[in-house]
Amino acid sequence: MRRLLTLREGSIVVVTILAIAYFAVANDRFLTSANFKTLLPYFAPFAILAVGEVMLMVAGEIDLSIGSVYLFAPFMFYEFHQLGLPLVVDLLLCLVCAALIGALNGVLTAVVGISSFIVTLGTLLGVGGLTLIISGAAPVAMPGAEVHTTTESVKKVVNGHTITLQEQVNHVGGFARVFGAGIYSELIWALLAVALLHVVLRSTRWGMYTVAVGGNRHGAAEAGIKVRSIVIRNFVLCALLAGFVGVLEAMRASSVTPDTAGASETMFRAVSAAVIGGTLLAGGEGTVVGALLGALFLGVLRDGLVLDGVSADYLDFILGFAILIAMAVNIYVGRVRKGSGHA
Amino acid sequence: MPETEGDDDVLRVEHVSKRFGAVTALRDINLHLRRGEVLGLLGDNGAGKSTLMKIIAGFQNPDEGRIVVKGEQVSFRDVDHARSLGIDCVYQDLALVNELDVVQNMFLKRELVSRPIPLLARRVMRERTREALERIGINIPRLDVPVARLSGGQRQAIAVARTVTSEADVILLDEPLAAMGAKEGAMILDLVQQLREAGEVSIIMIAHNYVHVLQSCDRVNLIQGGEITFDKPTADTSVEELNEIVVEEYRRARRAAQAG
Ligand SMILES: Nc1ncnc2c1ncn2[C@@H]1O[C@H](COP(=O)(O)OP(=O)(O)OP(=O)(O)O)[C@@H](O)[C@H]1O
Ligand SMILES: [Mg+2]
Repeated sequence: MRRLLTLREGSIVVVTILAIAYFAVANDRFLTSANFKTLLPYFAPFAILAVGEVMLMVAGEIDLSIGSVYLFAPFMFYEFHQLGLPLVVDLLLCLVCAALIGALNGVLTAVVGISSFIVTLGTLLGVGGLTLIISGAAPVAMPGAEVHTTTESVKKVVNGHTITLQEQVNHVGGFARVFGAGIYSELIWALLAVALLHVVLRSTRWGMYTVAVGGNRHGAAEAGIKVRSIVIRNFVLCALLAGFVGVLEAMRASSVTPDTAGASETMFRAVSAAVIGGTLLAGGEGTVVGALLGALFLGVLRDGLVLDGVSADYLDFILGFAILIAMAVNIYVGRVRKGSGHA
Repeated sequence: MPETEGDDDVLRVEHVSKRFGAVTALRDINLHLRRGEVLGLLGDNGAGKSTLMKIIAGFQNPDEGRIVVKGEQVSFRDVDHARSLGIDCVYQDLALVNELDVVQNMFLKRELVSRPIPLLARRVMRERTREALERIGINIPRLDVPVARLSGGQRQAIAVARTVTSEADVILLDEPLAAMGAKEGAMILDLVQQLREAGEVSIIMIAHNYVHVLQSCDRVNLIQGGEITFDKPTADTSVEELNEIVVEEYRRARRAAQAG
């Protein structure tokens, strides 16, 4: 236990296990594979968004615009497809658009010198508005995610007899299955993103410079680190991931609605996941694995509460307090870890 | 002011000026550093010493003037550029990152990475850090803790060790004794002494203590209000003379203030 607590991610591990244990005892439908599948979209997309946010927050910046980029990308995907381009090209081009928004955030923050909170608040609104304009405020069906239903004969064993039933089977294209529509698609992408960025943050120059820029920006510059380039690069990464998740989610739902309020909520959850996971808003410290766990904690909480039949009206209320409690535990455990009385 | 031309100058600063808005930090500075020499730089708070170091280290650009490194005039693009010409600085604020550990700070911007995938070569860097600290006699019990947990003197020792053990042959030390206890300060001075005797590097050392400067340096420059007002070999001057000049300036300023 002490050993676990000395890990930066220790506290969120404990909090998540406690939440899982509680729901497992409270509801026997919680620890089922069906519920696991229900849980996945509650956390996998947020995990990807959160790890991007971690890279920025460690560098001492924040990106609020990921909500809008997340919404904007699938609409651009749709627009590019309307031009008759193949799906893979649509994906690449819409990611380029997302990266450009990230670069704009980065330049306004690192070169012009506006606080990233303000910059990305601006792009959150601006890109959200742009999405409404492009879409004419109307939902679109995602190209490549069309569902074909066929009727097939399925053999089943019922009471020892083999019978043949006619069943409706849904098919979706291979592209869509890889990029979001497959049951485990988002989970796999999330684990990939976490593994990759964990290594980047802990074991590469880029990761070290990111910590340096967030920890001591002036000192990092004196040491010769290209502070602006690091900040811009992390903004681009964060926006790229947000755009990618936007496409995954749109593919999963097979359509996308220009709901800017929902997009902002997505952003808040991703930032919460990063912070709950143990990443400081002040910069210099953060963990990618923690962000995954933070997203998992929020997902478990939401899924468990829904399963318990908590009414939608109470959901955010309870979630909000749960986040505060998790944070308080985090800080307390952090103090134990550092062995100091005051944080 | 004596301005000896010489081929043995590793560094020459010529007519350098620097302004920050209304403040003129440096005014037509001329300074030279001979090969193997230890130059002491004295001056009051705000005299412009650190600004001059930052310009020589490539961290800031001068408004006017030239820098000549090993006979070639250069205009530094950035810190890396100056470093590639063998110039490295221990800044007054140390430029350490609290959140990184001792090894990472020692190798900040000089990391060793594996090939072909460029991952940090932690073990090698840790070994080299241990060797380097041992060689120059600095004792840091644990190398894998964030430097935030070290004492002020230990942090300063790491910053000095980082530069002294780098490839640099022009070393700038901006108040390397500021956070040191008497014993640790003596250790840094011994280190400078060793480097001076080995004669392979040239050093500019900023200090406020005249005794230290006279003891460790070959020559001393005094910078007052952004101008170099004094340049003598340490053998030709004394604590009394340096004190006299500095206190004179202070008295003149006070008289002027009272008069005006
Ligand atoms: N980045 C900056 N922006 C504005 N003014 C600056 C900046 N850096 C230095 N100055 C000003 O330039 C002058 C010289 O500062 P500098 O740091 O070089 O002094 P110093 O001789 O190193 O002093 P100290 O002994 O206190 O370290 C001061 O008046 C200072 O306020
Ligand atoms: Mg100074």
